[in-house]
Amino acid sequence: MQYVIVGIGGQGILFASKVLGKIALERGESVIGSEVHGMAQRGGSVISHFKVGDYRSPLVMAGEADILLAFDQSEAVRNLHFLKKKGSLVVNVHDRKALENASLAGLVRDREINVHSLEGYALLKEHMGGNFLFLNVLLIGAMCGAGISGLSFAEVSRAVKELSPPKFQDANMKVLALGAEAICSGR
Amino acid sequence: MTEVSRTVSTKAILLGNEAIARGIVEAGCLVASAYPGTPSSEILPAVAKFADELGSPMAVEWGVNEKVAFEVAAAASFTGARSCAVMKQVGLNVAADPFMSAAHFQLKGGMLLVVADDPGPHSSQTEQDSRYFAMFAKVPCFDPCSAAEAKEMVFDAFDLSERFGIITMLRPSVRVDHCRQDVELGELRPPKGQVKFEKEPSRWVCLPASVKVNHPRLNAKVEEIRAAFETEFGKYNYEVPSREKSVLGIVASGVCFSVVSDILKEWGREDVAVLKIGTPHPLPVKMVTDFISRHPKVLFLEETYPVMEMQLPDRTGILGRWNGVVPGAGELLPEVIAGILAKILGMDQPSGEGSSLLREALEDLKITPRKPMLCPGCPHRASYFSIRQALPNAVNPSDIGCYTLGVNQKAVDAVVDMGASVTMGSGFFLAHKAAGTERPIVSTIGDSTFFHMGIPGLVSAVYNRHAFVLGILDNSTTAMTGGQANPAVGDKLRKGDEGRKVDIEAVCRGCGVTFVRTIEAYDVAAGKEAVKEAWEHAQSRSEPAVIIFRHPCMLLRPQQPVVQVKVDPEKCIGCKFCINFFNCPGLVFDETRSKAYIDERFCVSCGVCISVCPHGAIAEVSEEGK
Repeated sequence: MQYVIVGIGGQGILFASKVLGKIALERGESVIGSEVHGMAQRGGSVISHFKVGDYRSPLVMAGEADILLAFDQSEAVRNLHFLKKKGSLVVNVHDRKALENASLAGLVRDREINVHSLEGYALLKEHMGGNFLFLNVLLIGAMCGAGISGLSFAEVSRAVKELSPPKFQDANMKVLALGAEAICSGR
Repeated sequence: MTEVSRTVSTKAILLGNEAIARGIVEAGCLVASAYPGTPSSEILPAVAKFADELGSPMAVEWGVNEKVAFEVAAAASFTGARSCAVMKQVGLNVAADPFMSAAHFQLKGGMLLVVADDPGPHSSQTEQDSRYFAMFAKVPCFDPCSAAEAKEMVFDAFDLSERFGIITMLRPSVRVDHCRQDVELGELRPPKGQVKFEKEPSRWVCLPASVKVNHPRLNAKVEEIRAAFETEFGKYNYEVPSREKSVLGIVASGVCFSVVSDILKEWGREDVAVLKIGTPHPLPVKMVTDFISRHPKVLFLEETYPVMEMQLPDRTGILGRWNGVVPGAGELLPEVIAGILAKILGMDQPSGEGSSLLREALEDLKITPRKPMLCPGCPHRASYFSIRQALPNAVNPSDIGCYTLGVNQKAVDAVVDMGASVTMGSGFFLAHKAAGTERPIVSTIGDSTFFHMGIPGLVSAVYNRHAFVLGILDNSTTAMTGGQANPAVGDKLRKGDEGRKVDIEAVCRGCGVTFVRTIEAYDVAAGKEAVKEAWEHAQSRSEPAVIIFRHPCMLLRPQQPVVQVKVDPEKCIGCKFCINFFNCPGLVFDETRSKAYIDERFCVSCGVCISVCPHGAIAEVSEEGK
């Protein structure tokens, strides 16, 4: 399984690969991935690669990713070439109108991409007092809810819980469920 | 830092840098010193953490710069202790002097030099290849292809260093440093030998007379190590033969080996053989030339300079950088390597950038890569605004750190390397003076960078009477690299270690600066006044003046007043002044309405932008408006 996780520096995308890594370790699977640290982290486009299985390279090659987990809709489009045919996109959308584009729709159709979108900022405003730091857990929940990663909610939930600082554990559990439900209910 | 999750097999998912750190501690290293720099920064904090966990007695410290870190580690090795210095590739430029010199010594304790390279580059001013530096200094170099291998190499590097009495370099590239992989954890090994410095001037004093002995000995060591690399290091240097008759052989070092392995597997190519080289200097030449002789064509893949290629007795028969088959700059990403291979193998060129539909969509939607920028609420943004407002005509040399991103605020005109903001202030002053002209000069430097290499330039400017303003942007951390402590902070890495804070004001006064003013960086009006006053002082007395702009880094999540702001669309005239000169992710422009607005996804309610709008359109949200 090959994941590409994209977003903007500061959105906490590194947490997602930590969760995936923890689950793989418990399953006894090999993992390798690549992260962005340093200057590129400061508010710019960021990307994490994560591969579970028998791989040597930490990087996912264009056209090979099973899942693209996008914390930002523009970054999702910019990195769509990483997805393989019939791959799945989980994307946080903040401006649906801005994504209305014939070429994009054509691409999604041609490549048979499964799109799972949620309005993360609106959800966090409604349920978490607008604390957008929870976006990472929300997106992980959404990926889980989409049922595309082969990971059970219980597994993901346990990993997120163990990796959360104690004071955020309860809130993270709530947000994880929120993300999963958002995808299931198509919001 | 990652929490190590232990399982029965004692495997953990570690960042490459944490794997290297774990190796350093397990190997019984006694002194580890570093200066942070991406992509190496996470190594030393992880060394401290593992040392605490495993109960190692070792010393783990940040040096104020890489030269300091290197020399600290080198002297420890003179006593017989295993020691280690860690830095990024351009850090080794700073430590080049002791590195070149100590390479000639017959060391006592094993000395490991970890230098992290940044092909791309992602966070550096060059993408130089430190393996070249190893070749220059004539020391052996290990080039790991993964986090797990990097950890393993640490043990062999220490052993090799002790066996030959030579510094050994471990050169991870960014994809190894920042790769996350399952890695085997071991226990602490007891330190080798004993710490005892024996006086022996011919060994420890680098007089020219000693070089006459040391240099030939060094040359002999290189050949002995080369012979060892030919035969003893099969776990790092090995062939992955082709199953079918080979049409191509690939010699790959470092992470290029990992990338090419996955591509060949994905493509199902059984007719390509790979020779993996983990010790590119000194190159096991026999092994490589034998491989070359057995394949019709041979491609060399390595980052970022042709280090292996250069060591071949004859490279005219191979495909590599010398004949332009492999690009001479940039990272060898999977898409780049796939393109090279497809061309050689006569396959269809894979399209790395995606289809024409995607290109059209990106164009229509105006989506471009987001450039790095100062964080919302960053105090540097406020400092730069003050500086620009006070002296719009000034030349603004700057330095290496987050604040280099002040280019977005049009407040950074020239950056060269660590500390050059101060010395460029001198250079700009002298050129104008000699030409009989004058222009205000306001340099900017961070707190950690000031200690790293800013002080010598400041002393020189005081001595020579150079008129410029130096703004020290003190955010109480080494921010760009992830928030490490420095002398201005005073904290140390190991549990129980206590450091002492070094006062920047006192240092400046001690250097002879007579104008030293500290201000709150968020106070734009005070900043503006201070800059004007400082320049008048500098100009009238022909000497440097210092302003310390102080406010904690946002990454430290400081407790500060929440000032919720809004843009009044009635007052905003769409002049984009705030966008062009303040440039905050939380303050953006709606092109259709031609108005600025607050993007609440990013705004942290620092309130600084209120004083930015010349039309008073940005204001605090009133109590009832919240």
